Amino acid sequence: MRSVNAIIQELDRIVSHPRVMLEKYLGKGKKVVGCFPIYIPEELVHAGGMIPMGIWGGQVSPAIAGKYSPTFTCSIMRSCMEFGLTGKYQGLSCVLLSVLCDTFRGTSQSWRIGVKDIPIIPFIQPQNRESKAAKEYLIAEYRSVRNRLEEITGCKITDHALSKSIEVYNRHNQTMREFAEVANEHLDVVSAKNRHAVMKSSHFMEKAEHTGIVQELIAGLKALPVCEWKGKKVILTGITAEPNELLDIFTANKIAVVGDDLAQESRQFRTDIPDGDNPMERLTDQWFLRKGCSLVFESHRCRGDMLINQLKENNADGIVVCLMKFCDIEEYEYPIIAQQIEDAGYPTLCIEIDQSTQDNEQSRTKIQSFTEMINDRRP
Amino acid sequence: MSEESKRITQRPVPLSRIMVNEQTAKVYEDALETKKRGERIAWSTAIYVQEICETLGVPVLYPENHSAALAAKHYGEDLIQYAEGNMRYPMNICSYARINFAFADKLKDPNYEWPSPAMPLPDLLLLANNSCVQLTKWYQNLSDTLGVPAFFIDMLYNFTEEKASAYKVKYIRTQIEEAITALEAFIGRKFDWDKFSEIQKRSALNNKLFKEIIALNVHKPAPLNGFDLFNYMAPMVICRGKESTTDILLQLKKEVEENIKNNTSTYPVDQEHRVFWEGIACWPCMRHNLKTLRNLGINAVTNGYVTAWDINYEPTNLDGMAAAYNFASTNSKSTPTVARLRSDLIKKFGCKGMICHVNKSCKVMDFHVFGGRDLIQKYTGVPIVNFDGDQGDSRSYSEAQFETRIQGLAEIMKQNKEGNHA
Repeated sequence: MRSVNAIIQELDRIVSHPRVMLEKYLGKGKKVVGCFPIYIPEELVHAGGMIPMGIWGGQVSPAIAGKYSPTFTCSIMRSCMEFGLTGKYQGLSCVLLSVLCDTFRGTSQSWRIGVKDIPIIPFIQPQNRESKAAKEYLIAEYRSVRNRLEEITGCKITDHALSKSIEVYNRHNQTMREFAEVANEHLDVVSAKNRHAVMKSSHFMEKAEHTGIVQELIAGLKALPVCEWKGKKVILTGITAEPNELLDIFTANKIAVVGDDLAQESRQFRTDIPDGDNPMERLTDQWFLRKGCSLVFESHRCRGDMLINQLKENNADGIVVCLMKFCDIEEYEYPIIAQQIEDAGYPTLCIEIDQSTQDNEQSRTKIQSFTEMINDRRP
Repeated sequence: MSEESKRITQRPVPLSRIMVNEQTAKVYEDALETKKRGERIAWSTAIYVQEICETLGVPVLYPENHSAALAAKHYGEDLIQYAEGNMRYPMNICSYARINFAFADKLKDPNYEWPSPAMPLPDLLLLANNSCVQLTKWYQNLSDTLGVPAFFIDMLYNFTEEKASAYKVKYIRTQIEEAITALEAFIGRKFDWDKFSEIQKRSALNNKLFKEIIALNVHKPAPLNGFDLFNYMAPMVICRGKESTTDILLQLKKEVEENIKNNTSTYPVDQEHRVFWEGIACWPCMRHNLKTLRNLGINAVTNGYVTAWDINYEPTNLDGMAAAYNFASTNSKSTPTVARLRSDLIKKFGCKGMICHVNKSCKVMDFHVFGGRDLIQKYTGVPIVNFDGDQGDSRSYSEAQFETRIQGLAEIMKQNKEGNHA
């Protein structure tokens, strides 16, 4: 059995070098499909015997993406465009994009025009989930995605295979949720950076394979003595919390991450696909169960309540809003949820996430001040 | 050419403009009166299915139009500062939204001195996201903070050039029917389908008239200063289903035809260059835009924004109505579609250049500007310049940059003209 550290190091290597995984799968004769943030029905890809691989940009200062993406659009999508235009995603059979914000609308076009060698399959989940027509619409939309995937890749996606893939994904979700719980017993080992590596690596591995590694990790953690964490605890919310250098600032200030509401992390795993007879309907039903996400319209927004519950359940000291630079969707939510959390008696810290810079000094100062504040608040 | 050398023709304010101002004032007054009587009024996104509330007789006000008006009158700066400072909204979100959030928050204070036009708080919200996804978040926040319901019609972005599939149209049509039923119950009035049909016909007539007026600017010299079209959009935004809009448009058409007959124009100097304007107006900086263009004899004879209310469908056909609303906005179309439409207009109107407003508040349109540039140049061959700005926040606009870019464009157009005559 490998040590906990060895497993985490492997996952961290995967996160740092996703291209290695792409090459590995291509070398095995697999087709790989790129999945833009945030909610892609990856199970369709998986059921076709292909590898769904997340594309979440990376720390890069775009040199040519500016031809298609204005400077004030979200840095993830600008870096995705940069990588697409410079051949970093070569090898992908196609990419899937769910058009849930204005930058996605624009990127669906920029990609078509600029990245000619990787076809894009855009689609939209319904935002008016209370309409009686929404489910029928989404089933048809997912069918259309399924047909396009089959056309482009030549892979067949059967209902039987889809049912099996759904089980793989549900099992993976459960495993990731278990990891999040177990990790909180071992905050000396599972630092903010390590937690992130485990979460993010899921985007670059076949899910059953990732489930196996995370289960091995959970078993390793359980074998360790429980840690009485002496530092402070926070919950992260936002789209992503990167890069590692930023996460290390939390550790340096003796702050542990005990939960998250990040689109790249727990929002991916918290909603299972419900039971049922028809796999396309099951896949569709998952969309109607999603809650507390800025990209999913709710007539009664519950994100603030969910965060407050997370704070209470994990005995955490505050919320860190990781505000993706130029992500207007999150920027609209920030004042509302921050107020709600503060009204409940918890402090919030807002830091900016920007993939186009390596400079974390502003965040360092803010995190230091926040640490002093929460140290003063509670013994 | 220097400013001094331009002879500016001062004209009295045309009757059509007076009628627009009167109509706008009446819309706001009616809403205030309704509110005072204890009845309900709505706030609506600009391309909602306006025919529904027009049928139900509910006064509707349009925050996008209202924010634009406040920005044009320079009330925007204080409100934006309030939204960013007191309310913690980041400066990256739409400036119309920031102005509106601040305005709505200040309205809770009974001692607040409202800037004109006075817009009372809503009892319900009408939300359609065909123009952009930001509207969904904007109205979700209003619904939360004001505690009023949002009647939501979710539109679907058309990412290809194909017509929307039947299943997409069905989703939108069903939502229109559901909105009618829900609003009928909320307002407590029976929905009159015959009246609905009449309002659909009236809206179609107004749409046809507005298109005809825009098309008249193909004449040389153009009978209208193209920027006038921004002002005449107000009736199409806030009163598209009303008879008063028909009266305004008939009057305007008469005035434009009179200009053509007399070889005159509302453009105040000789028109040396005809260009296409892409994007929403920079409302707080429009005076500077106009002055800069006028100094160089450039008339932006038409623009893409005014076509956003070109909503064509057969009255009584709900599927057609759903499809038309889903395709109405520039921001609901694919970039190749927009590039083709713009190119056709550039050719039809004899434009020799294109000015693109890179509007920080309108990301989808900016993506069209960036991604569509090569396509438009390929289709038309005209020079294109971009400038940075914003529809409501003057901080994104630089007078020097605008002047330099427009001077550069004028120089190229002049050379092209001389080359063509050589």
